[in-house]
Amino acid sequence: MNDVLAVVKGNRAVARDTFLMDLDCALEPSLPGQFLMVKVSSSCELFLRRPLAILGQGEGTLEILYKLKGEGTLELSRKKPGDVLWVLGPLGNCFSPPQNGESALFVAGGTGLPPVLALASRVGSGALVIGARSKGDIPLLDRMNSLKGVAVYPVTEDGSLGRRGMATDVLGELLAGAAGPCAVYACGPRGMLEKACELSGVAAARCEVSLEEYMACGFGVCSACTVKTSAGPRRVCSNGPVFDAATIAWGAR
Amino acid sequence: MNTSVRIAPGLVLKNPVLSASGTFAYGEEFSRLFDLGLLGGIVTKGLSLNPKEGNPLPRVYETPCGLINAIGLENIGADAFISGKLPELRSFGTPVIVNFFGSSEEDYALLASRLDVNGIAAIEMNVSCPNVKQGGLEFGRDPEVLFRLTGAVRARTGKPLIVKLTPMVSDIGAMAQAARAGGADAITCANTIPAMAIDEHTWRPVLGNVTGGLSGPAIKPVALKLVWEVSKKVDIPIIASGGACTWNDCVQFLLAGASAVEIGSASLRDPLCFTDIITGIEHYLESRGLDSVTDLIGKLETP
Ligand SMILES: Cc1cc2nc3c(=O)[nH]c(=O)nc-3n(C[C@H](O)[C@H](O)[C@H](O)COP(=O)(O)O)c2cc1C
Ligand code: FES
Repeated sequence: MNDVLAVVKGNRAVARDTFLMDLDCALEPSLPGQFLMVKVSSSCELFLRRPLAILGQGEGTLEILYKLKGEGTLELSRKKPGDVLWVLGPLGNCFSPPQNGESALFVAGGTGLPPVLALASRVGSGALVIGARSKGDIPLLDRMNSLKGVAVYPVTEDGSLGRRGMATDVLGELLAGAAGPCAVYACGPRGMLEKACELSGVAAARCEVSLEEYMACGFGVCSACTVKTSAGPRRVCSNGPVFDAATIAWGAR
Repeated sequence: MNTSVRIAPGLVLKNPVLSASGTFAYGEEFSRLFDLGLLGGIVTKGLSLNPKEGNPLPRVYETPCGLINAIGLENIGADAFISGKLPELRSFGTPVIVNFFGSSEEDYALLASRLDVNGIAAIEMNVSCPNVKQGGLEFGRDPEVLFRLTGAVRARTGKPLIVKLTPMVSDIGAMAQAARAGGADAITCANTIPAMAIDEHTWRPVLGNVTGGLSGPAIKPVALKLVWEVSKKVDIPIIASGGACTWNDCVQFLLAGASAVEIGSASLRDPLCFTDIITGIEHYLESRGLDSVTDLIGKLETP
């Protein structure tokens, strides 16, 4: 973990209210699931940093994908090539790759695509279910489709792309049809994660979820992001964001 | 140049910059970012006798130039701190000041005696919590109650005792005097300011706890005034807390009468700000031709 200065290389809309930002940045090597705390403004008016998952990392480069959710991400969307930003990272833990012949089922919804896509790119096999309200909300479809070995299943609530319904509908079918053991990796709205956990439990599949909670520090010092688990209270930013789904007390908040 | 400041008998800080309670946990995470030996002092998360769970999420919300938090004093409890965290924390050679709270006078006193162990340099008593026995009113709102509480704790500890006041009183000078009379060695002034956030779309409060405490640069002018008021009423050292982000802020607090400054919310935004602040103060002293930080303390020139 370190606080490093990043230079914006590119920042463009890739879906409705969704931006892809390329950065030049000498961050320590990260693993899929880890995230950054991005200082969106040098003015203290936007006081807190924003937690954003790492979509990709190369030699001295970083990629982040973010959805406009409030003033912080709006400010981020205004950055131009050449602008600089402080990023603290890499933060948090990471997904554990498939083991003992497990096939990987990646599930993303809402703002949950970056860590899941980072992992799918690394693993290079399995199935990726991407859920959204509508076709225009799904970013980086070309990139997903170009992942050889990963079958992509878009699901939209209005049926404008792929299946009509919810990402977890497809997850349920994939789990039911699987020949061998599966590992499920999910990030997105809490309801989706809880459902993914339930379906995985029924199918005796291992399920890891990456949780998204409001954060202040992002590195474990303020207890803003504590969730209840069967192992006691855990900080999403420093004990997570990736958890064994079966340990999360879904009902408690 | 001398940056050291004296807070209590046996408690001298090598510089006037401390962490604040609740924004530094127990130091482990920050120790991976910078050498904690550079700090004037380390103030821990508030401890209770037994481990305590916090409030429902969301527990924080950003507001312009600050944040509202309702963490709910989640902590690992005094015993787990002493056995699990203190050994490493004291190894940095920086005084460890343990923030603590209770729900009754006996609670506070028992905890103070439990914290009277090697490696703890001082204790900071948070009185912004409800007094269960007195119908939930905070210990820090009534001078009589605060005087008695401070005396009860004083009797149970040989450590320097710092009383951290709440800003939610009509006469903070009177509260500082009560703490001093009860045996406090120093005053921390102040704490977060009660606040709330409302979602106009859902008609619901944003925080799980409904209300919380405002901190960050938004409250700095309020904290400055409180420090100035307290410094006119008591002769014991004051530690400022409220919105300090830069060396400039710290110099302002020193001029208002503080002997040291805690950096809380600013370190959530910029975990490496401590080192910039410390060197900034040094450069300031140098540029003004001052030999010592003490040349600034309480030197505000009022018309
Ligand atoms: C997330 C958070 C947790 C806090 N926890 C405590 C605590 O446990 N005990 C305490 O006395 N003050 C606590 N405080 C108050 C701070 O120590 C400090 O007095 C206050 O935030 C004002 O200073 P600042 O503007 O520099 O943050 C907390 C503040 C924040 C933001
Ligand atoms: S955001 Fe501060 S502990 Fe997780």
